[in-house]
Amino acid sequence: MRTERAATLRVQNLSKRYGSGETAVQAVKGVSLEVSPGEIVLIMGPSGSGKTTLLSMLGALLRPTEGRIELDGLVLSELSEGRLPDIRLRHFGFVFQDFNLLSALSALDNVAIVAELAGLGRKAARARARALLEELGLGARLHFLPEQLSGGEKQRVAIARALVNEPALLLADEPTANLDSHHGHETMRLLRRIAKEQGKSVLIVSHDARIQDIADRVLWLEDGEFKEMRSLATDPVCGMTVEREKAVSAQWEGKSYYFCCRGCREEFLAGPQRFGKATARERE
Amino acid sequence: MGYLAWRNLTQSKTRFLLSVGGVALALALVLVLDAILAGFEGPLAAPIERSGADVWVSQKGVRNLHMVLSTLPEGVVEVVAGVPGVASVTPMLYTTQMLRGPRGSRSSYVFGLPADAQAGKPAGAWPPGAGEVILDSGLGQVLGLEAGDTARVFGRNFRVAGFATGLSNPLNGVSFLRLEDFARLRRSRDTVSFVLVRVGPGRSAEEVARRIEEEVEGVSALSRAAFARRERAVVRDMGADAINIMNLAGLLIGLAVMALVMYTATLSRRAEYGVLKALGASSGHLYRVVLAQALYSVGLGLGLAVALTLVLPLVLSALGLNLPLQLTWASLLKAGGMALVVAGAASALPMRQIAGLDPARVYRGGAR
Repeated sequence: MRTERAATLRVQNLSKRYGSGETAVQAVKGVSLEVSPGEIVLIMGPSGSGKTTLLSMLGALLRPTEGRIELDGLVLSELSEGRLPDIRLRHFGFVFQDFNLLSALSALDNVAIVAELAGLGRKAARARARALLEELGLGARLHFLPEQLSGGEKQRVAIARALVNEPALLLADEPTANLDSHHGHETMRLLRRIAKEQGKSVLIVSHDARIQDIADRVLWLEDGEFKEMRSLATDPVCGMTVEREKAVSAQWEGKSYYFCCRGCREEFLAGPQRFGKATARERE
Repeated sequence: MGYLAWRNLTQSKTRFLLSVGGVALALALVLVLDAILAGFEGPLAAPIERSGADVWVSQKGVRNLHMVLSTLPEGVVEVVAGVPGVASVTPMLYTTQMLRGPRGSRSSYVFGLPADAQAGKPAGAWPPGAGEVILDSGLGQVLGLEAGDTARVFGRNFRVAGFATGLSNPLNGVSFLRLEDFARLRRSRDTVSFVLVRVGPGRSAEEVARRIEEEVEGVSALSRAAFARRERAVVRDMGADAINIMNLAGLLIGLAVMALVMYTATLSRRAEYGVLKALGASSGHLYRVVLAQALYSVGLGLGLAVALTLVLPLVLSALGLNLPLQLTWASLLKAGGMALVVAGAASALPMRQIAGLDPARVYRGGAR
């Protein structure tokens, strides 16, 4: 596995518009962004803010209406449609919320097949996949089908798959959303280790406020554009990140608490001592 | 990528069995029909091929035995005997009759030959005496007759003098009378049906046949091989349309089964193909997976179909049915070709699905 790589993502004035005329929807508006090698960038924002559209464009899955995307010196936004699959295969590692492993293949083959797609022979692909999975602590699960793996194990297989072609950039879409707290932390630590030890750039889109702990930078996307980071708080009941200005709030023992909805507020007020350790966190 | 196709195919046992079983049944239909035809054709010309005659001379235009009437003046026998290259001639009377025995009745070629016949006589119990008949053993079995029993031929009783072997075919049995009995009962004293010719040493049957046609008026003459070939061709032509229609039915059934299975298999893995596309697999990669899956199905289906066709005669024999089946290389090649057509055609529809997959759906199809 390569340990150093000078990978930088540069995004300039990126926009995406769906439809035209009066029905046109501007999903992303003039977004600019730079990600350095070894940097972990977390993009947060409310539902419908354009995170998925932005991630799809950054991953060469969707063509921008305007703007420029440059990865490792390659201007993706200028490449023909036919070249994009190969670019995705060699320059990106994708980590999905639902893991998206192939149900008929073992953990080993799920990783090896992506290396084979990139042109590696079957034997070499399997050897590389084996080494990666063993490195991620899955040496005893190589021949297990996805249905035989736990959520955390599935996500580690997915991360191994994302790394097998030694990409410059890892794009992770809600990587902890389907994991319990323990496996969520494990995945976060793994992503950080990959970024810091291997110099990979990691771009994460997530609602999970815990990821802020490992991120080097947190960006807030709202209405299709990056906005100045607002004062954010964690709902002590459900753990969701909420904007203080828009959230429902309550006072307890002289402190302010912020909630995603009235239901969480009422649950909190019914027994605040149960959530007493949770505190609102300022983010800049 | 072949292993992905294989695992996709075998992951669901039900779908796997449906896919392979459906193709196997369709191809087995094609193979069995061909094998039946080949099985019919094989022994069909046995009375000709085992006749010992090098050339068959018949009424002009008659070029086979099955369902024909050939009448030649008796004098033709001597004329043919005088053609250079002819070593011996044997007059033969021939018709098709229903023979009856205690177990039932069956259609039979009836040959009338002189006691001193040089050709056309069966090996073994020859000649029959006056009022006697020699039956092919298969015919005797069907009619339930043994040596010494009485068989009804031309509405008269004949004593079974003995049995010949290996002459019956699925359409007809074979029986032999003395030429005199045959002529008397059919009132054909001054005519013969065929003249069986043996050629002299060093002479070719084709050359002698050509000379007979040149020198004897009103006759056709064919070498034994050509006469047997024509006999088979007649039966093949009679059954060709039915066989072709059933082959087409087999092809269409196989195609429908495969297309349905491939389509639903691809549909059920649409999300996974989308993931592969998002990860960077080209449509070409995915087409190859679908095509490999179809090829595995038809390959296994073909193997199973061949096995079924080979086992079927044993099953039929155990059930007491006498249906000769003969699997030929030509038939295997045809079924293999059909299998490839089925695989290609059945893959076309899923390929269109794959081509239309939007890789960006991998994000939109998530929980959000």
